[in-house]
Amino acid sequence: MAIAERPYVLIIGGGKVGFYLAKHLIQRDYEVTLVEKDPERAERIQHELGTVSVMVGDGDEMAFLAGTGIERAGVVIACTGDDEDNLIACQLAKGKFHVPRTIARVNNPVNVHVFTALGIDAPISATELLMGLIEAELSGSDMVKGVAVKASGASLIDVALPNLSHVTGTRVAELELPEGVLVVCIVRDGQPVIARPDEVIQPHDELIVYSRTLDVENVRLSLAG
Amino acid sequence: MNIVIVGCGRVGSRLAREMDAQGHHVTVIDEKVSAFDRLGEDFHGEMVVGTGIDESVLRRAGIEAADCFASVTNGDNRNIMAAQIAKVVFRVPRVITRIYDPIREEVYREMGLETVCSTTLVSDLVRGYFVDGVNRAHRTSAADAAAAAAEAVVEAAQEVRT
Repeated sequence: MAIAERPYVLIIGGGKVGFYLAKHLIQRDYEVTLVEKDPERAERIQHELGTVSVMVGDGDEMAFLAGTGIERAGVVIACTGDDEDNLIACQLAKGKFHVPRTIARVNNPVNVHVFTALGIDAPISATELLMGLIEAELSGSDMVKGVAVKASGASLIDVALPNLSHVTGTRVAELELPEGVLVVCIVRDGQPVIARPDEVIQPHDELIVYSRTLDVENVRLSLAG
Repeated sequence: MNIVIVGCGRVGSRLAREMDAQGHHVTVIDEKVSAFDRLGEDFHGEMVVGTGIDESVLRRAGIEAADCFASVTNGDNRNIMAAQIAKVVFRVPRVITRIYDPIREEVYREMGLETVCSTTLVSDLVRGYFVDGVNRAHRTSAADAAAAAAEAVVEAAQEVRT
């Protein structure tokens, strides 16, 4: 192929998430088709976004999906407000139309691992992400932010050390960390410093920590507690 | 047997009452408390309020010890998702789901779910009556027509399965 094709993304659900996602991806030069059940809402989106192709129909209806060009989509993103509809849309995309990657919005956080077990590539729970951030805010004045690394269960956690942290003055190699936790980077005076074993932790350091699980609280206690 | 049924509408409540009357341990899940009125006074089983597509609700309904599971709400996708959770996550030995949409039913049957499609069952029964003049849904006695219909449905379901 001489010219690289624009990646084709099919978004199912034209609610707030679907709408802003479509808008964002168009700006990033993706080819986007958005599927929305409600004709009035679809018309409004079409009017506002202009260049996007909006189709009115059910994202979990085989015949309708076949007409959206789904088989050439690189990714299908199901982001309606109903978990069951998102699951079925992604399963059909993958099982029947061989879409390589499926991303689903998960409304009920307990369903994240159900989605994984049922074959969805990337289930994303906004509620869970938000809860993690809020929990981090609640756990003290020091900022601890966790970011999940895809669906692997691992996370990168940003730990800003409190002034009197017990790890200040300790060499990275001597840090006592929970199993599966590793300091990968130190942010010092706004500059990233690689966390070599001999690096000594300074007051006001911010540590970027890899953790095999998203156990933000455990990591926080071992470093900032 | 331990039986978990998601959806306490006409089908779910009838199934629950029948299995309960036969001495099985039945738990019914529905989002609406008022739906349990359909079970009547003499139902001995358990009732759990909640959605069948939530693991914690299913656990509360005792799905971990269930021998049989049926999802019979009026939402196809909800039924499919609940059945898949029962089958894949909780490994319930017998899982069946009711799907109205024949196309979707075919897709998920191919993907390995046990399914019952009331749309095709009823249309097949009516078509049979047109062709050979015998109403198979009422074939035993007029007094117990509903029971016969249920039997025909079960028979047809077994046919579909084999």
